Amino acid sequence: MNSLTRRHFFGKSAHGLGVAALGSLMNQDLRAEGTFPNFTPKAKRVIYLFQSGAPSQHDLFDWKPKLVQLRGQELPDSVRQGQRLTGMTATQASFPIAPTMYDFKQHGQSGAWLSNLLPHLAKRADQLTFIKSMHTEAINHDPAITFFQTGFQLAGRPSIGSWLAYGLGSDNKDLPAFVVMVSQGTGNTADQPLYDRLWGSGFLPTRYQGVKFRSIGDPVLHIQNPEGLDRSGRRRFVDDLAKLNEMKLEDYGDPEIGTRIAQYEMAYRMQASVPDLLDLKQESKATLDLYGPEVSRPGTFAYNCLLARRLAERGVRFIQLFHRGWDQHNTLPKQLPGQCNDVDQPSAGLLEDLQQRGLLDDTLVVWGGEFGRTVYCQGKLTADNYGRDHHPRCFTMWLAGGGIKPGITHGATDDFSYNITADPVHVHDLHATILHLLGVDHKQLTFKYQGRHFRLTDVHGQVVKAVLS
Amino acid sequence: MPIRWATFLLPLIAVAADFNREIRPILSDRCYSCHGPDEANRKAKLRLDTEAGARAALPHLIERVSTEKKGMRMPPLSAGAGLTTREIDSLKQWVNEGAKWEKHWSFVPPVRPRIPGIDAAIEARLKREGVALSAPASKATLLRRVSLDLTGLPPTPEEAEAFQKDESPNAYEQVVDRLLATNRYGERMAMRWLDASRYADTNGYQTDAERSMWRWRDWVIDAFNKNMPFNQFTIEQLAGDLLPNPTRDQIIATGFNRNHRANGEGGIIGEEFLVEYAIDRVEATSTVWLGLTLGCARCHDHKYDPFTQREFYSMFAFFNNIPEKGKVFKYGNSPPFIAAPTQEQESKWAVLTASAESAERRLATLAPEIARARTIWEKRAGPVADWTPKRKLLWQGQAQAKVHGKVIAAAGLVGAQQFDSQSYLDAGDVAPLGYYDQFTLAAWVNPTAPNGAIISRASDKEEESGYGVYLREGKIQVNFVLRWLDDCLRVESQQSLPMGEWSHVAVTYDGSREAKGIRVYVNGQPVKLTYLVDDLNQDFATKDPLRIGAGNGLRFEGSIADARVYQDGLTPEEAGVLGTARSVSEILAGATRTPAEMRKVEWSFLDVHAPPFLTAAWNQYWSTRDELRAYSGTLPTVMIMQERPDVRPAHVLRRGAYDQPGDIVTRGLPAALAAPSGVTNRLALARWIVSRDNPLTARVTVNRLWQMLFGVGIVKSVEDFGSQGEVPTHPELLDWLAVEFMDSGWNVKQILKTMVMSRTYQQSARVTPELLVRDPENRLYARGPRFRWPAEIVRDQALQVSGLLVEKIGGPSVKPYQPAGLWKELSGGADYERDKGEALYRRSLYTYWKRAVPPPGMMTFDAAGRESCVVRENRTNTPLQALALMNDEAYLEAARKMAERMLREGGVTERSRLARGFALALLRPPSVRESTVLLASLHHYRDRYETDPAAAGKLLAYGESKADPDLKKPELAAWTMIASMILNLDETVTKE
Repeated sequence: MNSLTRRHFFGKSAHGLGVAALGSLMNQDLRAEGTFPNFTPKAKRVIYLFQSGAPSQHDLFDWKPKLVQLRGQELPDSVRQGQRLTGMTATQASFPIAPTMYDFKQHGQSGAWLSNLLPHLAKRADQLTFIKSMHTEAINHDPAITFFQTGFQLAGRPSIGSWLAYGLGSDNKDLPAFVVMVSQGTGNTADQPLYDRLWGSGFLPTRYQGVKFRSIGDPVLHIQNPEGLDRSGRRRFVDDLAKLNEMKLEDYGDPEIGTRIAQYEMAYRMQASVPDLLDLKQESKATLDLYGPEVSRPGTFAYNCLLARRLAERGVRFIQLFHRGWDQHNTLPKQLPGQCNDVDQPSAGLLEDLQQRGLLDDTLVVWGGEFGRTVYCQGKLTADNYGRDHHPRCFTMWLAGGGIKPGITHGATDDFSYNITADPVHVHDLHATILHLLGVDHKQLTFKYQGRHFRLTDVHGQVVKAVLS
Repeated sequence: MPIRWATFLLPLIAVAADFNREIRPILSDRCYSCHGPDEANRKAKLRLDTEAGARAALPHLIERVSTEKKGMRMPPLSAGAGLTTREIDSLKQWVNEGAKWEKHWSFVPPVRPRIPGIDAAIEARLKREGVALSAPASKATLLRRVSLDLTGLPPTPEEAEAFQKDESPNAYEQVVDRLLATNRYGERMAMRWLDASRYADTNGYQTDAERSMWRWRDWVIDAFNKNMPFNQFTIEQLAGDLLPNPTRDQIIATGFNRNHRANGEGGIIGEEFLVEYAIDRVEATSTVWLGLTLGCARCHDHKYDPFTQREFYSMFAFFNNIPEKGKVFKYGNSPPFIAAPTQEQESKWAVLTASAESAERRLATLAPEIARARTIWEKRAGPVADWTPKRKLLWQGQAQAKVHGKVIAAAGLVGAQQFDSQSYLDAGDVAPLGYYDQFTLAAWVNPTAPNGAIISRASDKEEESGYGVYLREGKIQVNFVLRWLDDCLRVESQQSLPMGEWSHVAVTYDGSREAKGIRVYVNGQPVKLTYLVDDLNQDFATKDPLRIGAGNGLRFEGSIADARVYQDGLTPEEAGVLGTARSVSEILAGATRTPAEMRKVEWSFLDVHAPPFLTAAWNQYWSTRDELRAYSGTLPTVMIMQERPDVRPAHVLRRGAYDQPGDIVTRGLPAALAAPSGVTNRLALARWIVSRDNPLTARVTVNRLWQMLFGVGIVKSVEDFGSQGEVPTHPELLDWLAVEFMDSGWNVKQILKTMVMSRTYQQSARVTPELLVRDPENRLYARGPRFRWPAEIVRDQALQVSGLLVEKIGGPSVKPYQPAGLWKELSGGADYERDKGEALYRRSLYTYWKRAVPPPGMMTFDAAGRESCVVRENRTNTPLQALALMNDEAYLEAARKMAERMLREGGVTERSRLARGFALALLRPPSVRESTVLLASLHHYRDRYETDPAAAGKLLAYGESKADPDLKKPELAAWTMIASMILNLDETVTKE
């Protein structure tokens, strides 16, 4: 019996979960290089509602009333300034201005402008902080989403959730630190796929990668025991396996064996904690109603929002929802109302629910896509139809919750929502701000790989102080 | 707190400060980002990466790094990179000892050190540390270790027993030789090479559709199995296409640098991705062979190593000259690619080619006879029916098509119909041709207006999807469109058709998806084309009907006759015959004949009027030709490297951006590598990479092999031998191995044999608490390697011990068990369709690799993602791995089949059956304590399943294979749980 090892690894209980950390003895350099948080965090966790495909700022948030008179006219060259366009419209003969066909009104004390496509969010306008001056470098979906997720356009770097899992670890030993859920909207149902690597850990150890909770089959891969083996049968299995592995540990002294024993125990716990998480019977009707009628249907954005709150309650660090369907190239009026309807009430309901439980104070909620959409029409502008191409030069996102100054608008765009006129916020700046709210200095969260100390914000990023409370 | 290797071990030995080991890492990590090679960002004109620069700084160095004065301290404390006391002490010692400067270790070519081999180097170091090698591992443990290391599969219990009994002194060596000689070896070695080359079965990026590179993968397996010398292995993969008279295999080998991701997303800017592809090739090549992170110099001079940005683009220039497009085809392989038949297919191909050639020869031999018979026939022939090519005729139904508007019979040609500006014909749902199809569209036309539609299967709105032949300002225009502007193809004849007279128009397309695959014939003669748009990357099939005289919002004014669709691209000769205005009788009656008319007469004769043996020879010619072409179309292809005839210039790209070109650069290697001049193409580059002048390749390669066996490289940063990489723990050993490798003729099997024959490799992996504290990562090698097997081996082993494994080398990738819905929920498209039968049980390196949704069974166990080159082996230990091993259908089925083997092959007692399970998986009997636990467990599960036999039935239903009906279900279920437990043991999934 290797008493040193054993005492060290197990403490008094052979199944003590303290063991989980011990793999690190073998993996010294796999832990964050430094101690986090660097300062007192304003938010303990993030719920990031990623609107995949790029919502149109023109039709939701960034109202440009002067465009009504310019309808159908060519976009002036003075506005476009020769900026690059995607290959889809670069050779288009004409760039007619397409004003939004939706009504905008001011809401709340803050007087934020929102279109009538978002009636529920409008009621919560005073909780939201709009950044109208977001901009990015990427012009196509894959590089742009990858950029938002990893701070780099090409795949291979860790996602923001992985960085935070690596830096801050988890507050819940029974659930992963980084959870992802995906839903398909009713807007553009074709194309715009997502990729597992968007929540991958890049060059960070894979234990920091996002775990996708699925709406089809097992919510976590292989979480369910096979039919014909119940939970007590699995308990026996894990216990006996631990006994055998402990014999190996005694014989060989390799602490990885201790980690493995602990991970089986963690797996067994997850088999209970995950179904418990998904058991919505515990929710009152009043709560369910906050999220709207789709909340009971697994795989919808509403259902995922409710799960996001349940995950937040359980201390999961980074909860990210991806909602597809925002890519309105051609038939925007046909697609956008339904697409907005998918997310409006659930997003608003999530804020309300978090607030009711006192969670909004230390949960940061982020809402937005990978870029904006053009003021000019893609395809033919007709009386009842228009479309918009990708536009990286400005777009709108909103933030709410922990550490955010509520009810303000930051940044501004020109009369065409084509160029930024005040306070530009780059993707790197948003990343720096999110990390800052979690108490992490974005310059200090680094990982050495291929000879370089990499960080989420590369060599860029400024915290957007104006939006902090 | 991260423990750096140097600070951790050095205090144990009191020696002079070693510049490369101790000092350079400090300067590099803490100083070079501001005082290094990157000139643009160098602060205070001070550089510490050169001897002269450092000497100039010496007088103030210690003061500046240790002062407490605010604003003076370097590096600034605000930068979060202040030196530790230990680091300052090291610098002081170095300065006091005379500040000896050395060239960075990895840029000095290795020379054979005066050590006799691996064990001597390891033991010399251990002696200094006062530690000794551990005892040898048991024979069974060693056999399992070396078998899985070299072949990726465990030995059988019988092989283990034979080895146990073999007491000859070279018993182990014989095992090693046997393992290296099996074809399993090549499969094992290919696993990590696929990671390094970012091999996958899909293109990556947005659509992530299928590509076909498995013929390259099989080339790799074959090359390892043949023990192709590593220098040749290198040259063929980097530049096989440039070798003199390269074989097809040598060209297939170049697929290495086409394995990168490729983007076919609508709207991308091609130029941007051409840059990315070339950069990816530089990064993969420099990481795999040179162990250098050249990618860092993409945007600016390298911060740590002596490479300038200009030098990066000189490397880039070796790889940017491929005849490729930045926007690739969304589906399938993109040019350049070649047909890459397997051996079996090659034989069949040869047979078909031979028979086509022989049919052609026979027809040629018969020419005099044909001429004689034809002349006789011509003399006798009265009026004969006209003849036109009927081969592969798909549609000729103008007369039956539904009339829209006013269409009247027209004069001039049989069946001619006249259209006005409204009318057209609707032929319905015929000729559903797509972009992989070869086809021909043809008609006689007599236009009276310069714009109109001739034949189309396309939307009847302007510039929407489908195919069609139109008149535009009198010119013939061919459109294949999925989405106008960014997903379409358009060519136009340079000459106009005459108005008010009959012309024959034929358009052929070869299924290549490229504009140059289209030909247009007018009256049987090919015409010059203008290529207006060449950006097709998806199928253009539509639901619209085939229309004559309409499509694309256009109508035809004038007359059309004999519209046709062929399901093949007609040959120029066939197009000539089809475009011949005169009928056979008219030609026969006339005085002169054009070559096409001559051919028309002859073909008409051969088809209808000739003696049967001549008709048979003629038919044979066409049928063998078509059979060969059809077969060629089914052959796998592989993307390859090629050089463009003109050289595409390479620019320095400011900030690495494709649209910020700076100076033009020529090809060349970074000066720091001291390569000779004259390395001006890929072949010369490849040859230099494996030349003895190159200090890196041999070291980098043996280091990666060492990592495969020992878990961690002698240089831990296997991808980075630069100044930010780790220094070698055993520099002499690394050099010894590198020189040994080169001296052996880059013999991979031999150097692996040298490694596994060492006592260092053969040690037991047991560790004492003292040694664990002293050397947690086993960098001193005072014990044998112990770490979890890679993903592929974990699964392959389970397949092997359960008897499910189907061993078959190569072929298209397979789709084994994977939970349903994983593809669909992310891409919304088609879901993963798992295979059936044998394909479920192939080795894991054949598993279909979709980049957007890589196989979860591999990713859970730390497989590399295949997005870009990865050479570092990564290992984690997570609950998701536990869940997969316990609950994944693949492992449940393996457990059941293994249980069946235990019951069938393990005698009649519980103990002997348990022993069989241990022998299969671990090659050893269970200990008494283990047996006690496992038998108690068995009884527990037996009680459960006897009480609830239905549960047993359910447990046994996993997997496609059926449970042995002769075994009682509760008994088999109980043993299945025991087998599962054995498969889940730490020992089973771990190299020990």
